[in-house]
Amino acid sequence: MKIIASYNIKGGVGKTATAVNLAYLSAREGNRTLIWDLDPQGAATYYFRVKPKVKGGTRALVSGHHDLDDLVKGTDFEGLDLLPADFSYRNMDLVLEDNKRPTKQLQKLLAPMAIAYDYVFLDCPPSISLVSENVFRASHALLVPMIPTTLSARTLDQLQEFLEGHDGLGKVNLMPFFSMVDRRKHLHIHLMETLPESFPTFLQASIPYASDVERMGLNRMPLPAYVPPSNPITKAYEALWAEIKAGLAKPRG
Amino acid sequence: MNEFAQAYLVPDGTDLQGIKDAFEGRYSVTEDEPHELIRRFYDTFDWSLYQAGTVLEELSDGSQRELIWRDLHGEAPKLAWNTDRNPGFAADLPQIPEIDRLASLVGIRRLLPLLDVHTRLISWRLLNEDGKTVARLEVEQNRYVDKGRERQGPVSVLLRLHGVKGYDDELQATARLLQEGLNLSLARAELLQEALAAAGRRPLDYSSQLDFRLDPQRRADATAKEILLHLLNTIEVNIPGTRANQDSEFLHDLRVAVRRTRSALTQIKDVFAADLVEQYKESFGWMGEFTGPVRDLDVYLLDFNAYQASLPETLRPHLEPLRDFIHAHYGAEQKALVAHLDSKRFRDLLRDWRAFLEAPVPEQSVVPNAMRPVKAVADERIWTMYKRVRKEGRAITPDSPPEDMHELRKSCKKLRYLIEFFDSLYPKQEVRQLVKLMKVLLDNLGNFQDLAVQADHLRDMAQRMREESHASTDTLLTMGVLVGHLLEHQHRAREEFAQIFATFDSEGHQALFTALFGPSKPRRKGA
Ligand SMILES: Nc1ncnc2c1ncn2[C@@H]1O[C@H](COP(=O)(O)OP(=O)(O)OP(=O)(O)O)[C@@H](O)[C@H]1O
Ligand SMILES: [Mg+2]
Repeated sequence: MKIIASYNIKGGVGKTATAVNLAYLSAREGNRTLIWDLDPQGAATYYFRVKPKVKGGTRALVSGHHDLDDLVKGTDFEGLDLLPADFSYRNMDLVLEDNKRPTKQLQKLLAPMAIAYDYVFLDCPPSISLVSENVFRASHALLVPMIPTTLSARTLDQLQEFLEGHDGLGKVNLMPFFSMVDRRKHLHIHLMETLPESFPTFLQASIPYASDVERMGLNRMPLPAYVPPSNPITKAYEALWAEIKAGLAKPRG
Repeated sequence: MNEFAQAYLVPDGTDLQGIKDAFEGRYSVTEDEPHELIRRFYDTFDWSLYQAGTVLEELSDGSQRELIWRDLHGEAPKLAWNTDRNPGFAADLPQIPEIDRLASLVGIRRLLPLLDVHTRLISWRLLNEDGKTVARLEVEQNRYVDKGRERQGPVSVLLRLHGVKGYDDELQATARLLQEGLNLSLARAELLQEALAAAGRRPLDYSSQLDFRLDPQRRADATAKEILLHLLNTIEVNIPGTRANQDSEFLHDLRVAVRRTRSALTQIKDVFAADLVEQYKESFGWMGEFTGPVRDLDVYLLDFNAYQASLPETLRPHLEPLRDFIHAHYGAEQKALVAHLDSKRFRDLLRDWRAFLEAPVPEQSVVPNAMRPVKAVADERIWTMYKRVRKEGRAITPDSPPEDMHELRKSCKKLRYLIEFFDSLYPKQEVRQLVKLMKVLLDNLGNFQDLAVQADHLRDMAQRMREESHASTDTLLTMGVLVGHLLEHQHRAREEFAQIFATFDSEGHQALFTALFGPSKPRRKGA
């Protein structure tokens, strides 16, 4: 089982779109796939038409009161399951803090899912918190969608600093990539040429800005489920997914 | 997604729209494009998969074929693989993990198509107010097609309810609605069973094992007819598979039934007129003869790999010409066998034999045992044969000629068949123990005789291969090594005999034979 987080400190950069569409592609090729919507706002949960509700809320979940598996909902897509968001996730930090090893709780909760799933996607809320630290420790890959702006370069630096400053996080498999790219904007082009130079693990694949993505909220389903297979934005997600899998397969030094 | 599936029977003539309408107000229903699929069920002729509580089905939807092996009544496959070829022998199965479990059930038999079920599948999704699928329903309109018997017809319509993980309440509610609201009942039988029933076929209708349930008080002649009629059915039911040579077990089972028939005829003594017994004894002897040559070749082919493996590695390739030789002659022998099966003599024989067996026994008979209760006759016959086996066995010393061993083997076989015909008249546990005991002794005697016969036969084949200049010196020498092995084994069987017979003839076993079959004590009841 590989755990892949979609994370950025910043909001509105395409984290949820990434997690939802990649999870769909993963399941479509036959992998048993789970997506966990960690964001109390529940955007991913909404896309799958599931009610944003977890029995007993965050506390029951973190305490291991329920098997994680009992909280999982089957989506309308074969091989793809969802662990829904719950509004109480907004207090997850506080609940995590009550535990002995507060930064390793997510890892512990997910461990038993290894028999049921090949890939787990974590859709993270925008912030840097105890939840995110748990995510960093649990994940085999940390996807960071970034809109090519000067400011986002700074948040990547911040993230890098944070990881290096914490024990055992220096080795996190950081996979930044460009999201919502507008090729008509010079700044986007410029940053895409320069920024990856200072980040060796920057992914080649990028996701263009496309209004088809925005329609996910109307259609309430992953993008590849409603656009024709030849759609270039689907192709972009497929290329991204292929590159991530290749990156996961590579032995890391 | 399919966590759970429950199948309901939809009565003939039910309006599907009516079922759909029943969900109104609770869920909206969307219908996917209907599609057609064909399921072809496979099993060996003796139902080895079904007997083990499993089903092998090939699912094809026009574009691909998938083979699925699963438990009867189970949804989840034990094994599944895509294929473009028909399953045949175990060796033709794909090399995937755990295939051995299936292969060992199949054994040396061929997987044959049982029948096809053509399905038109309509899928409904039940959507909640968010448009989320909370349960799925599949309506299966089924028809069976029994190609072998050129029959087809409808099989009941099934409605399968599939739950979605995490939507148990909706599943329960839907199940309630189907059962209570629409009065649908659960389909207890598996689709295969439904289709077989519709096609007028019964699962497990063939087994090479004898399984009589005899009435101890019934007349011996009538009981003998019952036993012989069953054996005749076994012979007849194996003829098509033997003609087509679908696998080697058809002929084998046919030959066993022929041998058992001769044994029943001659060993259930004095129940039919002597000239009739003489006549049919000869006829069934003829059947044993003309079916022999193909069986001999089958035995070689079945054992070939083991023979080859018993040789030093460098010699193994030299044995291949023997395999080619067997294959080259197989066709002609099989053709001769089929000619016999198609002959007038053979057909008349079976027809007349059946007519005799199906005719009621005469009200009065002068044949001494005919009108006695079968249990009394069985006791006597088994006891007599047991005593003969004991006597012959005890007389054998390390220097006895092979003929004495052969005689003992014949008596043992008779005794075994008698016990098997009549086992339902005796306590199960004990009889089973004795049959096992006989088997060990018979295996030993069989090895002693058959290995010698095989060695001789190999020598003959070597001679013929040389004459037909098929064989190099290396091949002939390798066959010589094989003959050596066979004779070594045979020799070992001879050495082991004394020990094996002593076990058979132990005091405990003697007591058991006496208790079951021995002459009744003075306190004999009834009579
Ligand atoms: N490639 C894209 N092209 C156009 N619109 C996009 C693209 N990716 C995402 N969007 C839209 O941008 C908005 C934000 O995207 P998304 O929800 O995926 O970001 P996020 O990082 O998860 O946001 P949040 O931080 O609020 O969770 C959504 O309306 C989404 O439809
Ligand atoms: Mg989001």
